[in-house]
Amino acid sequence: MDKQLDLLQGTLDMLILKAVSLGPLHGYGILLRIQQISKDRLEIQQGSLYPALYRLEHQGWIASEWGESENNRKAKYYKLTAAGKRRLQAETENWNRMAEVMAGILGTKPEEI
Amino acid sequence: MSLWSRSRSWARAIFRRNRMESEMETELRFHIDTFAEQLVRSGVSREEAMRRARIEFGGIERAKEEGREARGVSLLDQLLQDLRFGARMFRKSPGFTVVAVLTLALGIGANTAIFSVVNAVLLSPLPYANAHRLAMVKEILPNMSAEPFNVSGPDIAQIQKLNHVFEDVGGFRVWTYELSGKGEPQRVTADRISSNLFDVLGVQPLAGRVFAPQEEPFGHQVVILSYGLWQRQFGGQQNILGQTIDLDRKPYTIVGVMRQSFILPLPGMLQGVSADLWVPLGLSKEELADFGDNFSYTVVGRLKPGIQQGQVNADLQLVAQGVLETYKQWAREANMPLGDFRLGMASMPLSSEVTGPLKPMLLMLLGAVGFVLLIACVNVANLLMMRSVGRQKEMAVRLAIGAGRLRLLRQFLVEGLLLAFAGGALGLGMAIWFKDALVSRIPSNIPQFHDIELDWAVLLFNFVLVTLAGLTFGTLPALWASKTDFGALLQESGRGNSQGPDHRRLRAAFVIVEVALSVMLLVGAGLLVRSFQRVLSTNPGFRPEHVLTASIDLPSDEYSQDEKVASFYKQLMDKLLQTPGIAAAGGSTDLPLLGGWTHAFTVEGYQPPPGPALSLCNHSVIFGDYLQTMGIPLLGGRYFTEQDGAKSTPVLIVSESLSRKYWPGQNPLGKRLKWGPPESTDPWLTVVGVVGDVKQGALETATDAHTYEAYAQLGAPLSLRIALRGQGDAGALAADIRAATRSLDPQLALGSIRTMDQVIRRSTESRRFVLALVGSFAALALLLAAVGIYAVLAYSVTRRAHELGVRMALGARRGDVLRLVLCHGLRVTAVGIALGVIGALALTRLLQSLLFEVRPTDPATFAVVLLLMASVSLAASYLPARRAMRVDPMVALRYE
Repeated sequence: MDKQLDLLQGTLDMLILKAVSLGPLHGYGILLRIQQISKDRLEIQQGSLYPALYRLEHQGWIASEWGESENNRKAKYYKLTAAGKRRLQAETENWNRMAEVMAGILGTKPEEI
Repeated sequence: MSLWSRSRSWARAIFRRNRMESEMETELRFHIDTFAEQLVRSGVSREEAMRRARIEFGGIERAKEEGREARGVSLLDQLLQDLRFGARMFRKSPGFTVVAVLTLALGIGANTAIFSVVNAVLLSPLPYANAHRLAMVKEILPNMSAEPFNVSGPDIAQIQKLNHVFEDVGGFRVWTYELSGKGEPQRVTADRISSNLFDVLGVQPLAGRVFAPQEEPFGHQVVILSYGLWQRQFGGQQNILGQTIDLDRKPYTIVGVMRQSFILPLPGMLQGVSADLWVPLGLSKEELADFGDNFSYTVVGRLKPGIQQGQVNADLQLVAQGVLETYKQWAREANMPLGDFRLGMASMPLSSEVTGPLKPMLLMLLGAVGFVLLIACVNVANLLMMRSVGRQKEMAVRLAIGAGRLRLLRQFLVEGLLLAFAGGALGLGMAIWFKDALVSRIPSNIPQFHDIELDWAVLLFNFVLVTLAGLTFGTLPALWASKTDFGALLQESGRGNSQGPDHRRLRAAFVIVEVALSVMLLVGAGLLVRSFQRVLSTNPGFRPEHVLTASIDLPSDEYSQDEKVASFYKQLMDKLLQTPGIAAAGGSTDLPLLGGWTHAFTVEGYQPPPGPALSLCNHSVIFGDYLQTMGIPLLGGRYFTEQDGAKSTPVLIVSESLSRKYWPGQNPLGKRLKWGPPESTDPWLTVVGVVGDVKQGALETATDAHTYEAYAQLGAPLSLRIALRGQGDAGALAADIRAATRSLDPQLALGSIRTMDQVIRRSTESRRFVLALVGSFAALALLLAAVGIYAVLAYSVTRRAHELGVRMALGARRGDVLRLVLCHGLRVTAVGIALGVIGALALTRLLQSLLFEVRPTDPATFAVVLLLMASVSLAASYLPARRAMRVDPMVALRYE
């Protein structure tokens, strides 16, 4: 396993939005999905997942619903709302622009100045 | 927001909050369980899997707390949480909670009850419309007295006519009548009122009408009943209007009934006895000629809007000049010398006349009971403080797992308020009981023109008090907590002897405050006790025991001839003296302690010093063996005898103080004086006896010069106060005098039947009332202070067990330890006493008006209080000190 990276401030929200955009998930499922799509390269504090979920729900970007889990237990499922979808899109564009800019800056060589 | 929607939103908040909590719980458990299951599937034991899952998850409580915040949990929810937590903490230490709540309830209950009296008496307006615009008018005779008098009858019309400041002016005179023709004859008190009086006061009758202006002159036999008399005598009969009742054996037509809440006169307006009925003023021919005499009429005016007190008094000076002109004219016509007669007038707001005299007493009571609450609050703050020290660990833990510091401070505040409201609610219950106890003992000089009730004003007062109290002792531990470094605390293992010197000093400060406040209350109570003793030990000048009095007023129409009156009283005395059990009997125009008439007189050959020129004395006309019956001692000469008749030399008995003032060092017997100014034409009266001084006003007032004339030498007065001396219970003589009068005149009603012991008790009842209250406040304060001292020392001994153990291990003897703790207690008490004495010296001056023959700085009282406080503090310190002495050094050291 590669060395895990600490999460950048504010990125957990994006990860959650992305994870649930692929289909409704319960909290533990979101954790697994993030680990899966990040190929275990990100370290997520399990305890901090839920406050983030509640915050996103409170802001109306995700919605929750009680359902039954794979192991036949009552679990709370989260799915992306329309507002959440727009938010994810905006965040993604933002992130890409930022990453581009950062990459450009960090890739600058002395002779280019 | 309406009350309903508010309570609905509360309910929703509580309901939603519960669901949210349980959902969060389910969700997190699901997470951990699922995680653990996965681990189990990978071959880890179930137990180990659960453990690892929990560790991986991190702080569950912290996650919950953050989750709650993330959801924007309302302030209300947090408050409810704090409340629930606080309530749980209190349930866990019932002893502490009970003591704290009871202490507070006592303090708050007593305050609420006293305030309900202050509210009803001082803060509520008088029960008349436009009460703030009502003012009394009085007349001043600068030659006689600086104290204003009421108004002379003929002057009422002049005031009405000449003033420019009143919308309307009315007057009345207190009178009594024999009410007969319906049941047992009785004496009723009545006001003879000007026809506009009810209009001036702004009151309407419950039924019927007020008097018409044409009914005001003499001879109109119409009457308005009070609600009380209507209920008592006529059973609240509906068709009462138009019926007649007999007053002094003349028929009066009932034209109206007043409301239950209507009281006239109020205390301070004249005699404080509320009237049973009202009749028109009806000034007789004689009364209309009473120029400059008989200042018996109470005058009340309703000021024009916007008129200031200064304008009123300026205007009244002009009115007084006009009135004096009528005197002069009358004097010229009657060919009577008026001499240097001067007249002034003054006006004072009615409310200040009625409630003004009560203000110092009621405010003092409110202050005293406020002290008790302050002490109770300090005690509770002290208890909370000690408990908060025990909760240092809890606070540190809560901080560590993510509670904000502000949240902790709020927790203290919420707990303080919770305690305060519990105490306040219980206190309100106690207040209901206290108030009833107060009302049943309230002295008659406190007017109850409003029912003393726990109305909204009192409830508001209670609420404000409770909130203030809660904030006070909620903030103190919170302040302390905000200064404590909890991080350092948590690192410390064991019991952490980390109470800073600040904290110890604060607790000492609590005790000092308690002791100081208690000392002030005790000094106040002590001074009142001493005054009361002085009052009781004053010599009233007569022997009250075994004496019964009753008043007789013969109706003037039936007893129009002097002979008939004289024979009635003669026969009455004979009958009474024949009654077994009656040792002596007599009559007088007025009785001791109940006031009387002052008369101006001139002593033969006496040169008055410059200044107010008239000599004044109380004067009684007496009948039979009145002086002997009252036990007024003869100091020289003789009592009146049968020989002092209409045809013999007019004689006089004078009081000792009169004799000493006008004939110092001489034999007063045979000296002469006459009524009126030197130019008066009254006959000279020769002094034949000297008797002891008698208190004519209250026991506290100075004794005035007094003279007695024999009834047999004057015309026969229709009214006489009868005095009987028996051997046993004076009250039992009431039946005898009733029987005697009934056999002579079956229609005649006796008034004011009471024993002289009752009269004395009545004259001290207000003092008794104040004393009982302040005394119990002081006792309560002392008890609370003792509890405070005990608690602080006991706590400090527990905290210092280790130190004490070390001291003893190092060779300190038990006596040393005992002394150490006792000294600690006494040192703190001493500071408190010193501050208390300083405070008392500053405050007891306010008591001046309630003291009698005791200075506010009375050293004896201060000494007794000092000693009492010191011994109570010693006793309160002794128990913890003894426990300290018994500390086993080995146990104390091993405990570390």
